[in-house]
Amino acid sequence: MGEAAVFFLHGLAYAGLLFLVSSGLTLVFGMMNVLNFAHASFYMLGAYFAYSILCFTGNFWLALAISPIILLVIGAFVERFLLRKVHVHGHVHELLLTFGLAYIIQEAVKLLWGTTPMAMPVAGFLAETVNFFGVVYPIYRLFIFCLSALLGLGMALVLFKTRIGIIVRAAVDDSPMVDALGINVPMVFMGVFAVGAALSGFAGVAAGPLLSVFPGMAGSILVDAFVVIVMGGMGSLGGAVLASFIIGELQSFGVLLFPDFSLALIYMLMALVLVLKPEGLFGEKQ
Amino acid sequence: MMASQKAMLHRVGLALALALLLVMPWLLGSYQLRLFTEAVIFSLYAVSYNMLLGYAGLLSFGHAMFFGWGAFSFAVALNHFPGIPLMGAVMLAVASTTVIGLVVGVLLLRVKGTPFALLTLAFNALVFAIGIKWHSVTGGDDGLSIATPALNLGFTDLVVSSGPNFYYFTLVIVGAAIAFAWYFTRTAMGQSVLLIRENEERMRFLGYNTNVSRLILFVLSGALAGLAGSFYAILNSFVSLDAVSIEMTTKVLLMTFIGGTGQFLGPVAGAFFFTYVQNFLSDLTDNWPLIMGALFIAMVLWVPGGLAGLAAKLSGGRKDDDPDGTLAGME
Repeated sequence: MGEAAVFFLHGLAYAGLLFLVSSGLTLVFGMMNVLNFAHASFYMLGAYFAYSILCFTGNFWLALAISPIILLVIGAFVERFLLRKVHVHGHVHELLLTFGLAYIIQEAVKLLWGTTPMAMPVAGFLAETVNFFGVVYPIYRLFIFCLSALLGLGMALVLFKTRIGIIVRAAVDDSPMVDALGINVPMVFMGVFAVGAALSGFAGVAAGPLLSVFPGMAGSILVDAFVVIVMGGMGSLGGAVLASFIIGELQSFGVLLFPDFSLALIYMLMALVLVLKPEGLFGEKQ
Repeated sequence: MMASQKAMLHRVGLALALALLLVMPWLLGSYQLRLFTEAVIFSLYAVSYNMLLGYAGLLSFGHAMFFGWGAFSFAVALNHFPGIPLMGAVMLAVASTTVIGLVVGVLLLRVKGTPFALLTLAFNALVFAIGIKWHSVTGGDDGLSIATPALNLGFTDLVVSSGPNFYYFTLVIVGAAIAFAWYFTRTAMGQSVLLIRENEERMRFLGYNTNVSRLILFVLSGALAGLAGSFYAILNSFVSLDAVSIEMTTKVLLMTFIGGTGQFLGPVAGAFFFTYVQNFLSDLTDNWPLIMGALFIAMVLWVPGGLAGLAAKLSGGRKDDDPDGTLAGME
């Protein structure tokens, strides 16, 4: 029982990271039909920036605050000066652009920080353990889950309780109509893109101490995030929550129960969803 | 210029190019010849990829799964069936890649556009994972060494594993495959795929089974990539997981796009460009992928037609199959 609880909590922590990465991805896709291959690279950059800030200041909270802001700026820049330029050429070019960007960020990270994985230690109460229902558990993993739950709640509040949220949701649904109503959709898109990058950055900072910082971290979460948004339904935030939870737990228990097939399990589940419900769990039929 | 004169010019150009290809071993040193052979092999890989991207408008991020599958099944055939003739192993590799292409195609072609692109990536990751985990067959991280057997020509056995012999062997087989791909795009079947890309609904109304046409193209494209993969294995006398990695997919994407998706020979130009520029840059700096990536982004931003599109624009002639490099068929 104790072991199962530990693995359940491990799964929750990973699900939290996955949700932070995939929520931005799915919203951007819902609005502009652009799948951003560089999204996981933002996550990786978030971790590397945090690592450097931690090296200079020794303060994890400062890293958690600053790194996502840098990514907010990078995200806005990428949308405004790169993505918008190729928009007229169609979706293939947008996909190719973000793919090229992911490739460049990957190489730039190797150039600037090297290829060896780097540990990112946390200090203070985050490094301690807690006795949780009779199970001794590291606080840091709980912290990751709480952080993503908080950010997710904040996002839900903005999306469902504010005017900006209404505009974003309407644009996900039918952006030409929102445009026709006199709302600056490209501006909204830039904002969502930038916030998505910042959320990815949060995930990156949080992942650093857990998984260490290395150039392969973008690739490893990218495929999982893709599976999440395909399974959840592209453009659906609720779908992203549910699918993140499923994939996170499946990863965690898969490693425990079938160490050799844990990866295949995820693909089999995805294939099943695609065969039974190609539009995803919460997706709308096209 | 008169049409007949133009056709004549094309024929002369083709004959000159063929003659040049035939005398290459006399013009190049052994290192340069190896590089040239590599570029020929990657040309087939890029041409097969462009059948998906350029002709069918299907953006795949998983083409290395076929390339790598071909390379590995070739190596496995050689290592597990001692005495198998060289062409037998090549054919076995192509056949097994065809089967995989069929299975993957039936599953993936259910979706279109971005979900398709994304699922090809996921399947590539799956095949890569199989390569790592199935250590007893693929060698896992260690890869597989192969000893290429001599080619039995009936009257004599020819060692074709390296040098000019390997170059000619590649030129004949890989060249024939590229020629077949070109021929296929000119057939009614190949043309119908192009038309499906432009207007699928209309093609369905005209009575074409668009799903079957797309599947045939997908399988053929995979099989040709598998053939390129098995020659890549001979070239290196070794197969590693690199052949099935996402990097190998990235490579073919860069080659094809830099070369230009709008014309048949665009990917060939891209493969040669990529191979030689990579060779040049990697002598100068370890960070050559950074330069290659920047070049790719610059192409996407400013030269969407690629090198071939640029050449067509500069010469002001030849109508492009895909004038602005604007690929239709993505929703």
